[in-house]
Amino acid sequence: MVLTGAVRMSVTGHSRRRVLGLGAAGLGAAGLTGCGLFDDDPEPPPVADPLQPLLDEATTLAAAYDRAIVSQPGLAARLTPLADDHRAHATELARLIGAAPPSAAPSGAASAPADDAARTIAALRAAEQAAQKSAVAACRSAPAGRAALVGSIAACRATHAEALR
Amino acid sequence: MNPQLGAALAAEEAAIYAYGVIGVRLNSRGDETEARTAERAHRGRRDYLVARLAQLEASSAPSPAGYELPFPVTDRASALKLAIQVEDGVAQAWRPVLPVTGGNDRGTALAAMTEAAVRATRWRRLAEVTPVTLPFPGRPERE
Repeated sequence: MVLTGAVRMSVTGHSRRRVLGLGAAGLGAAGLTGCGLFDDDPEPPPVADPLQPLLDEATTLAAAYDRAIVSQPGLAARLTPLADDHRAHATELARLIGAAPPSAAPSGAASAPADDAARTIAALRAAEQAAQKSAVAACRSAPAGRAALVGSIAACRATHAEALR
Repeated sequence: MNPQLGAALAAEEAAIYAYGVIGVRLNSRGDETEARTAERAHRGRRDYLVARLAQLEASSAPSPAGYELPFPVTDRASALKLAIQVEDGVAQAWRPVLPVTGGNDRGTALAAMTEAAVRATRWRRLAEVTPVTLPFPGRPERE
């Protein structure tokens, strides 16, 4: 429950109050599954770092490239450096926000089976463009100490979209 | 923010100068179009910086009368190599503007850095340099 709430919050930007409200509404279900809201748990759920979504995105993109390379080995030379860039971003972001470094790619993440190289490239390009937009937004709202790193990540995603043209 | 804007201006001026040299050594329509588009973009950023520094009542250092190229540009290969280096350098000059600005100024700096990085990627592809991307555009080689 709590985990779902936290994820929902980072993806949609719902306010904490709203998420907590949803948690309370789901109290019955929580009781049934024994995921006790009333358990003695002195630790409040940690508030996600504003850059956590950017880290998640980097990990997801790296995994998308890995899957594309598995299904289209002919693209390996072109795609591997781009996947490596995303892994470098994830490592730096994890260090910056004190998160656990991303482990292996989440398996079974939803992705359409790529049946030809052109479609694979087009899908990756669209993902890069969307990811660039979120990185630009993150850079604009980042405190000074983080602006340069986040800006470089935004620029890198733009170069990836270019490289996939 | 003025010193950072001044450094970005110096990089844009150097890029405009370099493209003059680069253009002479390019011989395909595609290359030349790319170089002309890039030079126009750098002139636009130069004009923005001159205006912004004037608004801030900062005196920008006068641009030097000549620039020293990092290596002689004698053919297409060395011209493409210089173009890559110029765009990487422009991205590196804009990156320090990000922490010292906010709002639209930061947005402009990020756009300028990103566009330089994208042009560097395009030049790498034309020069058949791999990989065509850098993990952290704008970050100096040693940080």
